Amino acid sequence: MKKDWPCVPVNLQNVSPNAMRMARLMRMSRRDMLMTGMGAAVTYGVASGIAGAEETQPSPASGADPVATQFMAVSRLLTDRPTLDLRIGNAIYAGIVQSSADRQAQISKLHDLMGSGQFTSASAFAAAAEKADPALKDVIHDIMTGWYRGVADGKVVVYRSALMFDITKDAIYPKTYATGGPFYWTTQPPEVDRPTGHPALSPSKFVVEPT
Amino acid sequence: MPSEQTLSADVVIVGSGVAGSSIANELARAGISVIVLEAGPRVDRQHFVENFRNLENKPSYQGPFPAVPWARHPPNQITPNDYLHTSGPNAEAYQQVYLRMMGGTTWHWAGCAWRYLPSDFELKTRYGQGRDWALKYEDLEPFYYQAEVMMGVCGPDPAKEDLGSPRKQPYPMEALPISYAAQQFRKLIDEKTPWRVVHEPQARNTRPYDSRPTCEGHNNCMPICPIGAMYNGSYSVYHAEAAGAKFIPNAVVYKIERDSANKRVTGVQYYDPDKNSHRVTGKYFVIAAHCIETAKLLLVSADEQSPDGVANSSGHVGRNMMDHTGVQVTFISGDKALWPGRGPLETNVIDNFRDGDWRNERGAYLVHMVDDNQVDFATQMAISKGYVGRELEEQIRYLSSHTVRLFSHNEALPDPDNRLTLSKTNKDILGIPHPDVYYKLPEYTVKSCEHTRKVFKELIGLMHGTDEEWTPGYFPQDHPSGSTIMGTDPKDSVVDGHCRTHDHENLFIASSSVFSTVGTGNITLTVAALALRVADTLKKELLHG
Repeated sequence: MKKDWPCVPVNLQNVSPNAMRMARLMRMSRRDMLMTGMGAAVTYGVASGIAGAEETQPSPASGADPVATQFMAVSRLLTDRPTLDLRIGNAIYAGIVQSSADRQAQISKLHDLMGSGQFTSASAFAAAAEKADPALKDVIHDIMTGWYRGVADGKVVVYRSALMFDITKDAIYPKTYATGGPFYWTTQPPEVDRPTGHPALSPSKFVVEPT
Repeated sequence: MPSEQTLSADVVIVGSGVAGSSIANELARAGISVIVLEAGPRVDRQHFVENFRNLENKPSYQGPFPAVPWARHPPNQITPNDYLHTSGPNAEAYQQVYLRMMGGTTWHWAGCAWRYLPSDFELKTRYGQGRDWALKYEDLEPFYYQAEVMMGVCGPDPAKEDLGSPRKQPYPMEALPISYAAQQFRKLIDEKTPWRVVHEPQARNTRPYDSRPTCEGHNNCMPICPIGAMYNGSYSVYHAEAAGAKFIPNAVVYKIERDSANKRVTGVQYYDPDKNSHRVTGKYFVIAAHCIETAKLLLVSADEQSPDGVANSSGHVGRNMMDHTGVQVTFISGDKALWPGRGPLETNVIDNFRDGDWRNERGAYLVHMVDDNQVDFATQMAISKGYVGRELEEQIRYLSSHTVRLFSHNEALPDPDNRLTLSKTNKDILGIPHPDVYYKLPEYTVKSCEHTRKVFKELIGLMHGTDEEWTPGYFPQDHPSGSTIMGTDPKDSVVDGHCRTHDHENLFIASSSVFSTVGTGNITLTVAALALRVADTLKKELLHG
């Protein structure tokens, strides 16, 4: 039998989904990105803080791809946030563009739409975008998934630094990152009022991923 | 090509999970030589933690644990499956997952360490259903305690909270304080229902124990405790190795040899990943390779002497497959914020449905209010509803703090038609067939699940719940059992009350595969107690003749 597999010890990382994902990201990095921020954020899992992050710090990817700059502007509007982490943004953008051939043009289209009106909120902009082109709903979902879940193209771009954890950090820790010490969980977490806002986009079927 | 060198030990164990490693540890400490053959690789925790953090589908418990090609395990619970091929009316309900690697499937258990109830061992006598075990609760009680000490189990004071399984000793550690969410759930159950919420006994440290730290509530017991505050089989591997037991990873046993009378096992043969064959001989043999792989190995070892498989004169190897089939619902509570997911994953249980006279017609069950971090689920749900920006953030906070998940363990019955066989079409790279399982839910279990759904609906109403998401049909709880069933009659069972095979006097089985019924509590503590009882038997026979 052909000796394809080492006997002992086995380096499990060589066959892990993580290793395969990293290999793919690195290939993507060489092909598409070639910038330092991506490597730092993704390869080494640096969890840079979201709040107050300066977008101008890392080397911008915009020199290579002007749509990447547009992506950041669109993202700020769709998150109602004045600043977002550029390194994370570049990685999310790379994943979204990788996921579908239409995405880059759709991001540009969103950017054009943004320039055509005076949108004061994410909701107003998203509703207008879906009205202008129903297909833009999917790319808006991708952008929300990227920033809030830290996932693009079905892969983790950031975990601990995903915005979903930033906005819940007064109550709960990302799994595997608890720092409250033993039995912190017995105390009362903050109350949360029932939201009053409305969805901006038409609803989509919520599919729980099979395990 | 057979290896020139034959290894030998007093006891040869197949499988390094909680059963195999705990037997190895006991025997090695008594000065008995032990070789443990593990099909999968030697692994370590930090790789799994990293894999988890990089996993998009976080609830996929198998996700961080990729299989090696020579020791495949099911990649997920999806039917059809790449490895465990299920069929029958309830194929999806038997799509179990487990791990083949050093330490076994407890790498991703939740640490729930239930003793079975005395009635679980006497279901036939007490309720006219299923079978009786070939042992009583009292026979296992000392070994339950030994297993609790080995794992480090925390649990409630029986004087304050009696879980129904009589104890001669208190739990090794005090009960884990339950989370705010569980406290509120317990308050609701106390005030509005006739039921109760109890502390779940858990193999989780409430103080430093066995050189492992106190639980810090990372909420990731499944798929991987990041700090080792929860017991898993790897700790018994380390202890056994320190005591002198020899563990051989990547050793895929494919043949159990017997003497000419077919009464004694003389050796086992295993493949390494390059398909070189090696032989290991011994005085005693223990198959501790998980319910599914244990039955598979006995069937794979069929030859002229035993055309239906080793230890299978009864024809019951691979039959009587059971599980705790589950009902599951997720919903949004209309009451105050709970923020589940602060602390360990499973800490509290409604235990009122574990036993009762109604067990003569429907299965028992227990209910978990799962204390699971819901932030990712909430985010996905809010995005799908169409929220963006500030409104999305409000929704994420609200849904994260108000999402509740309930699931149950519903009791199966041993039915010989629910059967594991060797795949005729799918083989691994070593040429060993994959397992096939036919599964039809017993009516007893269906009735139990119907009762659970009614209770869940009542609970949803009490919590003013909305947005119910019911997991379709029935889902597997990964507690497979019954495939080498225990009994007193060699004609309809595979092992006796000491887990010794009826057919081969020096061959034992340590696995949930010997269970005669499956009760309601998670199966691992009972697996460990039975294994320690096997170790006790082996010590007596080897040291005192």
